[in-house]
Amino acid sequence: MGLDFLELSKTFPGKGVGESVHVLENIQQRIENGRFVSIIGPSGCGKTTLLRIIAGLEKASAGKVLLDGKELAQGTEEVGLVFQEYALFPWRTTLQNIEMGPEIKGVDKEKRRSKAMEYINMFNLNGFENRYPRELSGGMKQRVAIARTLIMNPRVVLMDEPFGSLDSQTRNALQEFLLRIWEKRGDTIVFVTHNVDEAVFLSDQIIVLSKRPAQIVKTFEVGLPRPRDRTGQECNEIRREVLKVLSEEIK
Amino acid sequence: MKKEHFLIPLVLILIWQGLSSIQVIPSYKLPSPVEILLGFKDLLILGVPPGNLLHNHVLYSLYRVALGYAIAALLAIPLGLLMGWSSGLLKMIRPLFELVRPIPPLAWIPIAILWFGIGIKSAAFIIFLGAFFPILLNTISGVLSIHPILIEAARTLHAREKDIFLKVLLPGAVPSIFVGMRIGIGIGWMTLVAAEFTGVKEGYGLGYMIMTARDIQRPDEILAGMLVIGVIGLLIDIGLRAIESRMIKWQ
Amino acid sequence: MKKIVLLILINLLFSAAITYGQPVRIAYLQSDIHQLPCWVALEKGFFKKEGVKVEVAGIFKAGPELMSAFAAGALDMGYVGVAPATTAVANKTARVVVLAQVNTEGSAIVVKKDGKVQNIPELVGKSAAVPGHATVQDSLFRRALLKFKTEPDQVKIMVLKPPEMIGALRTDQIDAFIAWEPYPAKAVTMGVGRILASSRDIWKDHPCCVLAADVKFLEMQLEKAKGVVRGHVKAIDFIRQHRDEAIKIGMKYTGMDETSIRMAMENVNYTPVLSVEGEKEYVDFLTKLKYIKVEDVQNFVDRFMRPEFVKEIIKK
Repeated sequence: MGLDFLELSKTFPGKGVGESVHVLENIQQRIENGRFVSIIGPSGCGKTTLLRIIAGLEKASAGKVLLDGKELAQGTEEVGLVFQEYALFPWRTTLQNIEMGPEIKGVDKEKRRSKAMEYINMFNLNGFENRYPRELSGGMKQRVAIARTLIMNPRVVLMDEPFGSLDSQTRNALQEFLLRIWEKRGDTIVFVTHNVDEAVFLSDQIIVLSKRPAQIVKTFEVGLPRPRDRTGQECNEIRREVLKVLSEEIK
Repeated sequence: MKKEHFLIPLVLILIWQGLSSIQVIPSYKLPSPVEILLGFKDLLILGVPPGNLLHNHVLYSLYRVALGYAIAALLAIPLGLLMGWSSGLLKMIRPLFELVRPIPPLAWIPIAILWFGIGIKSAAFIIFLGAFFPILLNTISGVLSIHPILIEAARTLHAREKDIFLKVLLPGAVPSIFVGMRIGIGIGWMTLVAAEFTGVKEGYGLGYMIMTARDIQRPDEILAGMLVIGVIGLLIDIGLRAIESRMIKWQ
Repeated sequence: MKKIVLLILINLLFSAAITYGQPVRIAYLQSDIHQLPCWVALEKGFFKKEGVKVEVAGIFKAGPELMSAFAAGALDMGYVGVAPATTAVANKTARVVVLAQVNTEGSAIVVKKDGKVQNIPELVGKSAAVPGHATVQDSLFRRALLKFKTEPDQVKIMVLKPPEMIGALRTDQIDAFIAWEPYPAKAVTMGVGRILASSRDIWKDHPCCVLAADVKFLEMQLEKAKGVVRGHVKAIDFIRQHRDEAIKIGMKYTGMDETSIRMAMENVNYTPVLSVEGEKEYVDFLTKLKYIKVEDVQNFVDRFMRPEFVKEIIKK
């Protein structure tokens, strides 16, 4: 049981008449429930588009996305998306950002407040509940963004290069943090990244996409136990292999 | 407000008073500061025309502005949100507004009198015209300036159209709305005084007061009245800014 | 040294020539049939025949606006209501003196033709429009109220420009107005209003418009001023003797039809002779209304009014 991509394709209309931009080509893949899967590929190849299709922000031109055999409905609560640019609502405090989902759902104030406070604690945001995004550091903002998504308990968590704009120390700390959270919850994570080191450190499986129109070139199983040694030999080997495949695509 | 801010105006006033006292500036062209102060006393105690005291003129003018302005805001803000949200609606309505907008509110006075008579309704209508467009245009631009990613973030949190409207568009556009509101009240206040030049039914209004002072040839009262108008305009703006900074703590 | 003296002389001659050659800047009130002598004098060239070049430097909607132009130094002479002129001089914003009368009477209170108001006391609680504060009509209206034992406070007096008054009456924005002719006549011919009281019912022979001159202009160009007054007296004679032609000129300058102008002129008495007593009453009235503060009324009137100009001309 899991997330299935069946012959997924996406074409955008181009600038000229009759022109089109072919972004995704016949993506066929299964992602087992509860796995941490990274998607990696050359810039602009369509990784983000794929996530947006799963999240329901775009419609596939052909093919389907199924979860446990059923097609995903528009706006389904089974899927959550964490954006690269945090996308926090600047006029809401940390607490109010986190409780946005439950608020929309109609959960009453006390319940959603206490739930949000749970996440504040879980994500080490204590003391910043009433601050506004402009007062938070990049790492904090990303934690708020993730909390905001996870509070809705989606079964599939999509993450679009969430740590891309952070410095490497913060990024490493957040990666470890993410793993801890994930290990307790067991959701499926589909994690788009540029960064091979990151993919190797985090994932059970790495899917490599070709350049546009994107197809799946190769998938790697990363069987290593966690916590992993970033600079250890096993990680290096897998990293080398992935880089080899990637560099072919970048040419 | 530091002491130095008052130094230059004070020096200018002293020079002015000096020049007036020796009649280098003749008092029928420009009364001296002392004469203006005495004129102000007459406005307060004697009234222009005699019997119509200053505070009543102020109240009537404020009432007219408040009425026209409230209607302008109540119409322009929702309409602006809708027009910012729906580009179809924007394209449809915009040409009409762009045609009407350049017409100075004062040019509407004869028509306003035909439609609404000489009374508070025609004055409020003129104010409405002056305040409506800045509020509308700034609201539209406020919506358009909301990063689309925030709307997508709301969608991934399962927001319906109504939620997006109330929880994203409206709060996101608030800073621009306030800019529009400040511009609108400024124009509204200026327009009111000129609108009252053409006649008020109740015999009260700051514009009417100044015209009467002109009729009875009291330039000292004219200038005192102008000062009152300026000070009130300033206070209104300060008040709006205070409300604004309280509501937009997040910027 | 000679060169400098020569230059100065040429300069002086030049400026004198310029000032001498410059036309007299005259103003009148728009569509006010009282100003007919001015229009007649312009049309028939009476000023020119007295050797004075005249240019119309302004046409104003009401007296106070004309007085503002005097205050700004933009006018030499003007046809204006005696009340706004008195107010301006008493409040020291303009320095003018009155050289001749233009007319007496010539205003009327107008109410809706089939309206509720049948007489003046019924105006209590209603609204009425006057052309401006401290105008002749404003004074007349209050006087009318007092004459009929009504307190002016009990009537809602508002300011409207005469062209707007008929429309406002028609749409019931106001219950009455008082204006100079030809507006009352026009209201009647349009079927909108009827005359409740005319000036002669309120204050017989009351002075209305006067011919005023800027004090400085009078000092420097006395002969020109005299010439204008002579042209003015001639124009009034002309109106008396050639009524029909005068009516045509009135129609031209007001843009109104013959019936209205004819009716209007029935209500106006053109005369160049000043009424000093009438002026004293205005000063009293305006002081009571607190528009002006004049301590020595006799002194004020003596310096403001110059009946000797017209007396000299009539003697000849």
